[in-house]
Amino acid sequence: MSLTFRGGIHLPENKNTDQCTITRPREPAYIRVPMSQHIGLACIPVVKPGEVVSKGQLIGENNNGLSACIHAGIAGKVLRIESAINQNGRRDDYIVIENDYSGAVSPDIKPCEKKISELSSDEIIDTVRRAGIVGMGGATFPTHAKIKSAIGKAQKLIINCAECEPYLTANHRLIAENAKDIIYGAKILLKACGVTTGYIAIEDNKPDAIADLKKLLKGDSLLSVKVLKTKYPQGDERQLIYAFEHKELPAGKLPSDLGYVVFNAETCFAVYRAFSTGMPVTERVVTVDGDCIVNPGNVIVPIGTPFSDIINFCGGFSKRPDRIISGGPMMGIAQWDENAPVTKGTAGILALSKDMYHREIPNCIHCGRCVGVCPMHLMPCYFAAYSKINDYESCDAFGVKSCVECGCCTYVCPGNIPIIQYIRIAKSKLTQKK
Amino acid sequence: MNSDLLRISSSPHIKHEDSTRVIMTDVLIALVPAAIWSVYAFGYRSVTILLVSVIFSVLFELLYQLIMKKPLTVTDFSATVTGVLLAFCLPVTIPLWMVIIGDFFAVVIVKQLFGGIGRNIVNPAICARIFLFVSFPGAMSSFVKPESSLSAFALTLKPSDIDAVASATPLAMLKQGQFPSESLLDLLFGKNAGCIGEVSVLMLLVGAIYLLVRRVITWHIPVSYILTVAIITYFFPRNSITIEFMLNELLTGGLVLGAFFMATDYVTSPATPNGRLIYGAGCGVLTVFIRYFGGYPEGVSFAILIMNLFVWYLDRYTKPVRFGGDPK
Repeated sequence: MSLTFRGGIHLPENKNTDQCTITRPREPAYIRVPMSQHIGLACIPVVKPGEVVSKGQLIGENNNGLSACIHAGIAGKVLRIESAINQNGRRDDYIVIENDYSGAVSPDIKPCEKKISELSSDEIIDTVRRAGIVGMGGATFPTHAKIKSAIGKAQKLIINCAECEPYLTANHRLIAENAKDIIYGAKILLKACGVTTGYIAIEDNKPDAIADLKKLLKGDSLLSVKVLKTKYPQGDERQLIYAFEHKELPAGKLPSDLGYVVFNAETCFAVYRAFSTGMPVTERVVTVDGDCIVNPGNVIVPIGTPFSDIINFCGGFSKRPDRIISGGPMMGIAQWDENAPVTKGTAGILALSKDMYHREIPNCIHCGRCVGVCPMHLMPCYFAAYSKINDYESCDAFGVKSCVECGCCTYVCPGNIPIIQYIRIAKSKLTQKK
Repeated sequence: MNSDLLRISSSPHIKHEDSTRVIMTDVLIALVPAAIWSVYAFGYRSVTILLVSVIFSVLFELLYQLIMKKPLTVTDFSATVTGVLLAFCLPVTIPLWMVIIGDFFAVVIVKQLFGGIGRNIVNPAICARIFLFVSFPGAMSSFVKPESSLSAFALTLKPSDIDAVASATPLAMLKQGQFPSESLLDLLFGKNAGCIGEVSVLMLLVGAIYLLVRRVITWHIPVSYILTVAIITYFFPRNSITIEFMLNELLTGGLVLGAFFMATDYVTSPATPNGRLIYGAGCGVLTVFIRYFGGYPEGVSFAILIMNLFVWYLDRYTKPVRFGGDPK
């Protein structure tokens, strides 16, 4: 009996790359590293144009509030610091580094000498903060802040390997190839949060990874594997906690209020790396897929690598892409520039050819399918209807602020209505009014 | 790299293949068995009525949208479904010009004048049927026995031809407190007098199962509707033999057609599961009340029409509790 939640959809999985080992393409000629790759304040560049940086060197930080440090993913010369529009449509500073292919590693990079048992919570938090670790699933919440918020409150820790978005297999491959390291990272996080029960939550469409983990965790007192039913959006931490606990996380509360803390699998891997080699987050695993890619696969690339380099490494386009998406097909962001850089939250690059819309005039036929699939139990059709006539107060009355923008409603809508777009408009207007 | 423009849009970037057209096509497929039975039962005149009804429904929608310079939506097949459903609840003896008037009323007055697909407040086919019913009570309640040969293409039928094969509907018999002359099995198969598409309960159920399997409709409305009618007619029969009376009430008067194909019309039924249950139960109560105490023998279309008007309130007050509870 797999754990699950109410609502949601079993999407066509399209996990075409789940047997593609993670490969490392040749380093790009240059990288463009944006300064806000996390939730919180943007970093301020600490290097100047003309400076020579080495791999793992700190290039951006902000100590005035919630933030996560940014490091150079390659060795080379800082060409310029430019201001440009980032993936989310906001203006951002980019540090452009030209690769000198020397491969020099920063002298600050040292593995942690102590054993896990000797580490204190504060030491771990400090190492995690200096390594610039964020939620690598795509939410990009700074991990050191999450650990802090969980201390004393959380009794259970979940490692999220649900990976419920179609196409994406980066977490799956990471577990298949580095299960030991992820478990090691998870134990460091357990120690940091002062928690003694940890679960690795994984969807039942990854049987090989489940078998590996079960073998490794046999007789483990701290960690165990929990199998979840494959259903989107199982990876949302609210739905994860519901599947475990059958308790709904009240609106505006954090998982730690229910005694849980949730980390992504790749975040654990980043923690492991920060302790075993001392290397901060300078690279990440990206799934490259979609029907326009010649050789889909999983690659590990420095943060700041342009999409076009990765796509070329994967054989380029087989046909003209209709859209290029950063992230998964349900919540990812369509890119207008094929040279957009990989950031800490980029779990996938998809090039899709088919225009998804039915090419019909959008009309709500009040069928109620969106109501049935909404994992937050809302009525999306009314958000669309009210938002369309600028009645944002009614959207609020119907609970638009609880929407997590998972996209289920828009996916099933036979009337072809861009419901999520209407919801985003309503949310932003409501925020402005405050 | 190519310099073609990339498409930018809000997420999600994939979509389920079901569109309005696919759903309406499914409804049409589900109506095929009953349509075939109507030809067997009432001859080729029912084909003529079906065709006239569909052609003019689509034509009126097209003309209205052309004249009003509105985007054309005939390709979503919703007008086709309206045409078929309206024809299904007309007697085979009806003059063809009345069918056309009914189509005009359904498509233009009930649907388009309210803003087109998804914006009508009552079910167009049902409303048009009631419009014809109160405008031409004579023509709308002259029923004939199945397997009677009527002219397939005559615009209007001669009264003498109709009288020769006229027959009372089972409901009219029930209204007078008697059991119909047909056996329950005959009612199930559709060997009784009645409207074109309502007589064969079996064929309608085949279509309904298809719709349920394809997840076009959910079980809530038909089950709560039929169950409510069953419970009331069982406990308050107009006759002494309760079970038989209940089954007679369930198998006649277009209840199955109404419950599975008319009451489940998306636009004019609630979107929430609880709302659908209440709506179905309301339809059931009203149907029995009108059959028992109304001036007409049948109550399905009136019941659905009345419940259509409550949909917005049902939606509003059966709003699901949001995840994590409503904020205090």
